[in-house]
Amino acid sequence: MEATPSDQTHNTAAAANHSSVAAISMSAANTNHRNPLRVDWPTIDGPLGLTEQDSVDHARRFFKFGFLFLPWLWAVNCFYFWPVLRRPGSNSDPELRRYVVGSSIGFMVFTVVLSTWALTFSIGGELLFGHAWDKLVMYNVAEKYGLTGLI
Amino acid sequence: MDQNSKPKSVLDSLGEEIVRIITPVSICMLLVVILISVLNNDSDSSGPSFTSIATYAYTENSSDSNWDKLKGALLNALVFVVVVTAVTFLLVLLFYFRCTKFLKYYMGFSSFLVLGFMGGEISLFLIGKFRVPIDCVTFGLSLFNFTVVGVLAVFMSKTAIVVTQGYLVVIGVFVAYWFALLPEWTTWVLLVAMALYDLAAVLLPGGPLRLLVELAISRDEDIPALVYEARPVVNPDSVPRGAVVQRRVWRERRENDDGSDDNLDSRSNLNSTVNSSLESSSGLERLGDENARNGVDVVDGQVSRADSELAAPLIQHRINVRMNLQEGGSSDDFALEGIGLGSSGAIKLGLGDFIFYSVLVARAAMYDFMTVYACYLAIVAGLGITLMLLAFYQKALPALPVSVLLGVLFYLLTRLLLETFVVQCSMNLLMF
Repeated sequence: MEATPSDQTHNTAAAANHSSVAAISMSAANTNHRNPLRVDWPTIDGPLGLTEQDSVDHARRFFKFGFLFLPWLWAVNCFYFWPVLRRPGSNSDPELRRYVVGSSIGFMVFTVVLSTWALTFSIGGELLFGHAWDKLVMYNVAEKYGLTGLI
Repeated sequence: MDQNSKPKSVLDSLGEEIVRIITPVSICMLLVVILISVLNNDSDSSGPSFTSIATYAYTENSSDSNWDKLKGALLNALVFVVVVTAVTFLLVLLFYFRCTKFLKYYMGFSSFLVLGFMGGEISLFLIGKFRVPIDCVTFGLSLFNFTVVGVLAVFMSKTAIVVTQGYLVVIGVFVAYWFALLPEWTTWVLLVAMALYDLAAVLLPGGPLRLLVELAISRDEDIPALVYEARPVVNPDSVPRGAVVQRRVWRERRENDDGSDDNLDSRSNLNSTVNSSLESSSGLERLGDENARNGVDVVDGQVSRADSELAAPLIQHRINVRMNLQEGGSSDDFALEGIGLGSSGAIKLGLGDFIFYSVLVARAAMYDFMTVYACYLAIVAGLGITLMLLAFYQKALPALPVSVLLGVLFYLLTRLLLETFVVQCSMNLLMF
């Protein structure tokens, strides 16, 4: 195996990330400068997922989109970059890690708030809310507005 | 590493591939059967009274005679097939004029409709049936989340593979549920008509799907299509350089478009056709492309130039020898002998196939579970046969005909013959 300049190998290896085997064997000084012996894929799909550079953009975009009341998007983001969360600090891009951790915190906060409300609503029921409960519960709303007949 | 050693076993990789495509099909069918049996136990063949493109010509009435129902169903099916053909030709035209962006946006829009509206209605049915005490704020927010992430997953291919696959299956479930609500005779005749249409569209020289496929090959482009792509089986034994080289073959893997249009049933004026056309999870293809372009560079460090150039013409020839399932490409990689080991590419199946298989099983579920088992086995057998034919003929093949025709046959046989036999045996405590 010839020694190729690490940068070029980095780019081409990142581009050829179908085969982790290929990447591993090809990466003398490989995609991860900090850890020359292993290839660390940032995504859960491994070699089929994104490259490191694309990952940062992707994570950033999902993180920002998630502020539009989309906690599920944050969750998907965290799921996708699960290896980044699992690896303690040193092996991944700090910026990437920041976005992924931000997404996970956002998701957890949002979930706690939403589930508190939903559980209060469903467990409290009429006792807590009075007849506002009937006005808010979904099946009544659907009946009132005829939502089940749209399509 | 031995250059000429075969992968662990062809059966292992091939079997794994087949399992990876049969699993989502089975999950889709299971979910639709569950939905149907939960929601539609009381009304069976009367169905809802909405008019849609599939009941345009004739609305079934349970008081009509069998012959009338059959005639009406044939008319309906004819109208539907004509509309589907027209839309597919439109799709070919658009693809010919390179309106790929428009197609992609349309795909995103139709997935939004399916996930948002159809999904919302189905969940409302479920909520109403089980009296789930969820409030409208939570429901609205969850639906909104679900829909938006689904559209993103289908529209751009950079989300997790599992998420994309899951959303595609869910879209298939919703559309199949709606199709299954059509009147009984119409559904069955429609299924058979679509199977025959499929056969014609893919195999006849003038067929729209065949034209689409040939256009895509000649232009070396990807068709925007809603196709389910199974995760490829990565062969751990493959030689590094062989692996690199054979990954380039993935570039030649053409996705066959899902030309089948599944019409949205709409009471309002939603006559949009879900002409599935966005290639999901094409992260694979994209990477394959990059790989191909950088192929020579990448391989530079590994293989000598001569080898890579040699490999290229081999691959070029392979372009014409694609294997595709209709309404979705099924692409099996070929072993590049002498250069590396064969590792299969991913198998792809179009969403229309998912939908029609599930419709068949759902209709069988409306009768009894015995027919469900029979039809499920028939469909899986048909799918297996189609995959084998694919490996044999190595060209674009339609996925619907064998499975649907077998399924319909098994349904009729079960309903007419098997059931009486089994019931009589059980009543007399003879068997089962």
